[in-house]
Amino acid sequence: MLRAEAGARIARQRRLRLASLAAAAAALFLAGTAFAQEASEWLQRAAEAARSLTYSGTLVYQHGGRVETSRVLHLADAAGEHEKLINLEGPPREVVRNNEQIRCYYPDAKIIRVESRNSRNAFPSLLPQQQETLEKYYSFRRAESARIAGLETEAFVFQPKDGLRYGHKLWADAATGLLIKAQLLNERGVPIEQFAFTDIQIGAKIERDMVRPTFAPPPPDWQMRQALPGDVAPQDTGWQVKDLPPGFTKLVEGYRTLRGKPAPVAHLVFSDGLVAISVFVEPTPEVPQQIGLSQQGGVNVYSRQLKDHLVTVLGETPGATVRQMAYSVAHR
Amino acid sequence: MGKNLAEQGGGRPAQATEPTPEEVSQLMDGELEADGLEHACRGLRETSAMQTWICYHVIGDALRGCGGLSPGFAERFAARFSTEPTLMAPPRRHTAPAAMAWALAASVAAVCVVGWVALTTMSLPPAALATARDATAVRAADARRPVVNEYVLAHQEYSPTTPIQGVQPALRVVAADDQNVAR
Repeated sequence: MLRAEAGARIARQRRLRLASLAAAAAALFLAGTAFAQEASEWLQRAAEAARSLTYSGTLVYQHGGRVETSRVLHLADAAGEHEKLINLEGPPREVVRNNEQIRCYYPDAKIIRVESRNSRNAFPSLLPQQQETLEKYYSFRRAESARIAGLETEAFVFQPKDGLRYGHKLWADAATGLLIKAQLLNERGVPIEQFAFTDIQIGAKIERDMVRPTFAPPPPDWQMRQALPGDVAPQDTGWQVKDLPPGFTKLVEGYRTLRGKPAPVAHLVFSDGLVAISVFVEPTPEVPQQIGLSQQGGVNVYSRQLKDHLVTVLGETPGATVRQMAYSVAHR
Repeated sequence: MGKNLAEQGGGRPAQATEPTPEEVSQLMDGELEADGLEHACRGLRETSAMQTWICYHVIGDALRGCGGLSPGFAERFAARFSTEPTLMAPPRRHTAPAAMAWALAASVAAVCVVGWVALTTMSLPPAALATARDATAVRAADARRPVVNEYVLAHQEYSPTTPIQGVQPALRVVAADDQNVAR
């Protein structure tokens, strides 16, 4: 498959080609409605802005009655993307991203978590059939423009047409397309999770040193928790979801190795074009796990025991959706 | 009120995880210490204990002459409760018994409302009890913030909205990690 930077570059080119293909396909198939084209063009513009702009700002993350404020620096240069996020309250936390690699620093616990992100998965929503489901299960509309963090923004809403998904309201800088605020809305239209910049300087002057980790190199007594090769090796796992919520199609299926899990875990990803739902199946772990529904920000998680396996389904959807899927996981 | 009832039914031996009617009564009266509180709340997920709890409340309410909740009260309460901002909350302490107690009180409140509706509308169908148990489970899960972070991180790799949000979704994990990270 893809290896090293050359691979990443090819992946990026392929994605761009796919994107334009998809846009063309959308224009052909859905000529009557501007929906899919407008929505995908808009998403593409936001993604491109997030990747290519240099900016710094204060980000407020709200969920379940909690508020967390962070400082964000994003530098785009010839070497790619460098991003640093430091929380401003509570025990210090730092997230540093260099292109695909993400490191989370926990100075009080003396721990660094190293993750790698698989950017070639970006924008499965641009596949033509995904665009069709997007149009079938959401209505996309422009909402009132607003001034946020000193910028004029354009607002867009993805409103679900059934109770199986959440609504999304997104505000983007009118000039650049950069996402300034994002809300996840429940079935009553009430925000359950929100990311918002309270101030932002787009085009700020950021030196490379400013986006390096504060704790580099880490003191010798810090523990490095390296993510194992996280990629899903595509293969048939034998697991299936019998009662899939309408509009969700399988993006990937395979086994992956996760930190702290002795055996490879089956991972199936489904998407309706806007959100993804993951299904994990592993042999029952020795440490007892929480069974039932729990939440992590806007992500609902449902775990259940299936004979000698633990099934966990999670995604940015209502609890009922992940629960329904968890109860219809079966082995062929 | 609940106390008298507890004495009448108090001779029943307690199972390992099921609170005695006496404990349920003490829970109602706010007389349990942190340990007992957690045990009792966990035990409420047992059907029979939940019935005791609901029963005590309905009897208590009836005797006090308060009932008559307006239609849709439970939904409105749940909706407002789940979105109630606590912007001015004091900073959380690492071993916060107060926070735990608050979370448990929240589960209790949710269960109470669900229980009331279950009793007044359809005399305890199993489905309503299941809902009540789910409500407890969700709140308890919030309080303990289980470490499902490996899953969430692995999942976010594939989330179509990740590319427009950059590193922001990592905040979900960082926020949830908090004290759990050291374990």
